[in-house]
Amino acid sequence: MGQESYTAIDEMTFAQALAELEGIVRALESNTLELEDSLERYERGVALLRALQGRLTDAQSKVDSLLGQLEPEKDDETADTTLS
Amino acid sequence: MSVLKPKDPFEGQGTLDDLFEQAGREQKPAEPTALTVTQAMNLAKGALEKVRVTVMGEVSEFNDKPGYKAAYFTLGDEGASMSCQMWRNKYSASGVELRRGMLVEVTGYFSSYIVKGRMQFMVNKLVIAGEGDLRMKVAQIARKLEAEGLMDPRRKRALPVLPERIGLVTSPRGKAVWDVIRTLRRRYPLARILFAGVTVEGDRAPLELARGLDTVVAAGAQMVLLVRGGGSYEDFMPFNDEGLARAVAACPVPVVTGIGHEPDNSICDMVADLRCSTPTAAAEKSAPSIDEIAARLGACGSKLAAAFGAQMQDAAHRVEVCRARPVFNDSHALLGTCEQGIDVLGDRLSAALPGMMDVRAQRTAAADQRLRAIGPRLAQGQLQRTAAVEDRLRRAAELVGARQESQAEAACTRLVREGGALLDRPQAQVARYAQALESLSPLAVLSRGYAVARDDAGRLVNRVSDVSSGDALHVQVSDGTIDARVI
Repeated sequence: MGQESYTAIDEMTFAQALAELEGIVRALESNTLELEDSLERYERGVALLRALQGRLTDAQSKVDSLLGQLEPEKDDETADTTLS
Repeated sequence: MSVLKPKDPFEGQGTLDDLFEQAGREQKPAEPTALTVTQAMNLAKGALEKVRVTVMGEVSEFNDKPGYKAAYFTLGDEGASMSCQMWRNKYSASGVELRRGMLVEVTGYFSSYIVKGRMQFMVNKLVIAGEGDLRMKVAQIARKLEAEGLMDPRRKRALPVLPERIGLVTSPRGKAVWDVIRTLRRRYPLARILFAGVTVEGDRAPLELARGLDTVVAAGAQMVLLVRGGGSYEDFMPFNDEGLARAVAACPVPVVTGIGHEPDNSICDMVADLRCSTPTAAAEKSAPSIDEIAARLGACGSKLAAAFGAQMQDAAHRVEVCRARPVFNDSHALLGTCEQGIDVLGDRLSAALPGMMDVRAQRTAAADQRLRAIGPRLAQGQLQRTAAVEDRLRRAAELVGARQESQAEAACTRLVREGGALLDRPQAQVARYAQALESLSPLAVLSRGYAVARDDAGRLVNRVSDVSSGDALHVQVSDGTIDARVI
């Protein structure tokens, strides 16, 4: 069935997964695939889409401090009363 | 840089008063011709505009209303004041924001606004005092690196489209760092921020900044934001450092600068892959917004469904087209021609058969006739043969009969003999039964002396009570009946 040739979505970067998804869309739009292949690609496409949308909703900026000590963010009140 | 002392334009010529006095004296012999005020003022203006100098002084007054076409300010020192005027475009381009008490250097020429009889200094170039030196040094370094091709637009790399790790090199204090982090958080939370907090001012800054660059690259940053917030020209000097600029140019991943200082570009700005005007702008340029990405995903989703759906529909349609063809709907469509053919042939067959039958009948009749003709002859022959056979048969039969007869006779005798014997046993049996029967017979009983009594009516009398005195009785004995009367 060719499933072995698909990389696990979890191991792909966002950019890689998005590129694969857009590739599948182009392939389907070209209307040159056999019906069975189309079905397989469609299912893969849906899986990619769901994974990517999930990553977007779950995304949270993480900050790794490699050097120096990041001072905590000033809340609005403190920021207004201190000279920057 | 040394400061030029303003040259006295009228050195050696005396004062204006002297000038006019001289003019007047020259004309005294004849009638004295006086200048108009305008003429006189223009004369002065012409003389003034020949004086081009650079002046350093302290700003004592500053006027910059938005509607004015020029900025007006006054420079002064202990002994004098100088009114200055700078056309707005030049003032903006200078990058200097004048404030009272600032020490500045102005370059330009004197002039006069003759309508009001005022003298002012028209400023072409404005820098903060002492800055000129710095700027020259910076310009030198810039030219040197440009000559090496480090600022070539073709060197500038495109940013990674969807970076997973973004490096951030800036001071851990102040607004800039949090402006960037907040912007990235809002716009593109998919990326992890690798932060190197270093000092951005002072002598150690260039080294620290370069170290920060190396650190984030080593940690896997796919691009680096090199930013600092606003400040004075001196504050940005670390970003003009040659060593740091070379580090930026040599960085293996794209570098985006956001060094808040319009309009000058630092040397780092010039060698970077992308220069933005502020830290926030740098953050915004570093990645697409999450809304854009979501929209792109949404578009993919729609196209995916549409394309696949279209293909399915197309396939279903083609199947339907086939299904609707007469071949699959009308059984006659396929076989009709054959059926017709069969009918036609059937007709022809039916038409042909009688004919054929006639033919056959004729043939049969002919054959029959021939047969009949031959028949008697055949029959004759047969008869003779039959007779012959009959004879033989008879003779054979006689022979057989004779033999049979004797056989039959013998058989007959036997039959008679044995037949008789056959009867012996049954006869004996019958005799025995007859004897038995005989003994049981009422007649035998009667012969032994018993009698059967009946009355007149023929009814059996077997009890004394059946009769009374005087009744008639008929007594049957072995050989007849005795008529009697009861006494």
